[in-house]
Amino acid sequence: MTAETWPTAVLRPIGRARALAAGLPGTAIQEGVIDAPFDRVWGFIADLERSVPEFDVDVARIRIVDRDGSRLRIRARSSWRMAGLPLGFDVDLEDGWCWMVARPRLYVVAMAAEPDPDDPGRTRYAHLEGITVRPRALARATRWRTRHHVASDVAGIERALGLRP
Amino acid sequence: MVDEATVRRAQRGDAASLEAVLRDLAPYLGRICGAIALDAGDDALQEAMVAIARNLGSLREPAALRGWARRIAVREAVRAGRGGRAIPVDPATLDPLGLDPRTLVPDGTTAVEVREVLAALRPEQRAVLVLRHLDGLDETEMAEVLGVARGTVKSRLHRARAAFRERWTA
Repeated sequence: MTAETWPTAVLRPIGRARALAAGLPGTAIQEGVIDAPFDRVWGFIADLERSVPEFDVDVARIRIVDRDGSRLRIRARSSWRMAGLPLGFDVDLEDGWCWMVARPRLYVVAMAAEPDPDDPGRTRYAHLEGITVRPRALARATRWRTRHHVASDVAGIERALGLRP
Repeated sequence: MVDEATVRRAQRGDAASLEAVLRDLAPYLGRICGAIALDAGDDALQEAMVAIARNLGSLREPAALRGWARRIAVREAVRAGRGGRAIPVDPATLDPLGLDPRTLVPDGTTAVEVREVLAALRPEQRAVLVLRHLDGLDETEMAEVLGVARGTVKSRLHRARAAFRERWTA
């Protein structure tokens, strides 16, 4: 009998995002169900250069500057609302999982998706975003803004997929 | 395995280090949760990961990460396997200490057969088996992980072992 024959549990992307949110008090996470199949949803999101500027009102442009398997380095420029600031991110991009850590490591974004087990025509989605700095009081102060931003991103994804006006 | 410096950074709130810690632990704890909680294994693993991320700051010694995380995972998996009821477990059900399952289930046993045998056991029995077989813990370590006294475990061992062996060889 080998370890391979034992039943094994898997940490799925949304579970990973929930765990990170639990350990990062300056972040907010929103979950929902998108009325489109996983391949379509993730096919859109994973094309970061196109998708992020389309659904995130605070990002004007994204460019992939380095790629090594699932590891990417990207440069982003914020929208005029955020003063057009340049930002760098280290990204881990896998099927159903995108984990973006800003340089310096003050801001993180995670996008997680998996097929809805109750309806393969739909996709469960989780979006985490926020600051990682201490003290916690600062994290609490920014959480309201983060919650609204995450909700805006999720709505932007649904708009881009033609699921809402 | 992640190094202690990474664990310390994760404890201080570094997001990339926390992600690395969770990624490192997931396959190991996935085996524990899968074998103990069976169909509820994915949920148990997720709950364990949430608890680990939330409480990582309370871990005093980074070198003890895996043992600390294992305790959390076993607790969540037994609870999930029992349909949500929490441990501590009844020590009378801690059967197979000292038992080497390799002598009872031969090489070549399929995953389906292993699952059938596991499914016939209680979650706390599966926990003991997993800790013994996958982790090689001795009875002192197992008693500590499961939150019961070693002496209590030993006193129940003889009677329980016979029943357990019967199940495996049936």
